[in-house]
Amino acid sequence: MGLDNRTAGTALIIGGCKGIGQAIAARLARDGFNIIASSRQAGRDAEETERLVRQAGREFTLLLLEVGDREASKKALQPYLEGDALPEVIVYNAGIARDNLFAFMDPEQWQAVIRTNLDGFFNTVQPFVFGLLARKRGRIIVISSASGQAGQAGQVNYSASKAALIGAAKALAREIGRKGILVNVVAPGVISTAMTESLPLERILPLIPLNRIGTVQEVAGAVSFLAGPDSAYIHGQVLAVNGGLII
Amino acid sequence: MDDATLKFRQEFKQRLISWLQLEEKKPEDIKDDEALFGTGLSLDSLDAVEIVIALKREYGIPQNAVDQKREIFATFASLSDFVQKYQQDHQ
Repeated sequence: MGLDNRTAGTALIIGGCKGIGQAIAARLARDGFNIIASSRQAGRDAEETERLVRQAGREFTLLLLEVGDREASKKALQPYLEGDALPEVIVYNAGIARDNLFAFMDPEQWQAVIRTNLDGFFNTVQPFVFGLLARKRGRIIVISSASGQAGQAGQVNYSASKAALIGAAKALAREIGRKGILVNVVAPGVISTAMTESLPLERILPLIPLNRIGTVQEVAGAVSFLAGPDSAYIHGQVLAVNGGLII
Repeated sequence: MDDATLKFRQEFKQRLISWLQLEEKKPEDIKDDEALFGTGLSLDSLDAVEIVIALKREYGIPQNAVDQKREIFATFASLSDFVQKYQQDHQ
């Protein structure tokens, strides 16, 4: 694929304009997908994502939505729920962190993270499942985290939400696999983004056998694999992209 | 049972077999008052989705007219009668 006229269909990326989501949008565009990316707001990040997608010769649509809001999400996604507009690939990447020691965590920190990271998955991915079952083809890729696999001190809320996504994806894989819908998880470790720029690297690097943090492009590469033809028999799996942080 | 219902049910059994790819079944294997799910025909929730899709495609029955109504899916007869009535009401 790449810079020719063929299209691989449409990829929808929920949380697709910043950090890892932006890199996924750019990579899937290079793979031949037209891109629909959701974001909470228009602005520089969304414009940069659009530029990267168009540079790859693909179409770009920005969807403004707050994933924690079920009704608003359904309304924004309505035009894409069936027929030719139904995406081939749906990536759930929306996520926030509100780190605090559990002893000091307030309800807002807990709820904000669960609402965006977990409720958002239900609000934005569930509406597509009927259409995907009807079509009997599609890929759902959920972005979890090493924190969800192993737990991370100071991130009880974030770890809970990301572990829950793994459980949700595995259950969904069992439920709809028979109809040809593949469901998989990508679990990034420490990746260089705005979310991790304030972390104390000197304390983190000794924990990572590859002795460096990852790039957003390396996460996008795993998503590209799970969205493409070479992974057609991979289902219900968690693909960790973490430099060996968890082995 | 009147002749029209008898005829509709017979045809509907054939359709159900083709929608759900129940190749090993014949229309006479489907008993009118047998449960569709669990026991009886032993259909599962994905078969239910398949039926909802087919009802929309072939009879124009909207998803929300059937998807939350368990009683329609109780037996073959309840489903067939619902579709027959829907068709009569919407001609």
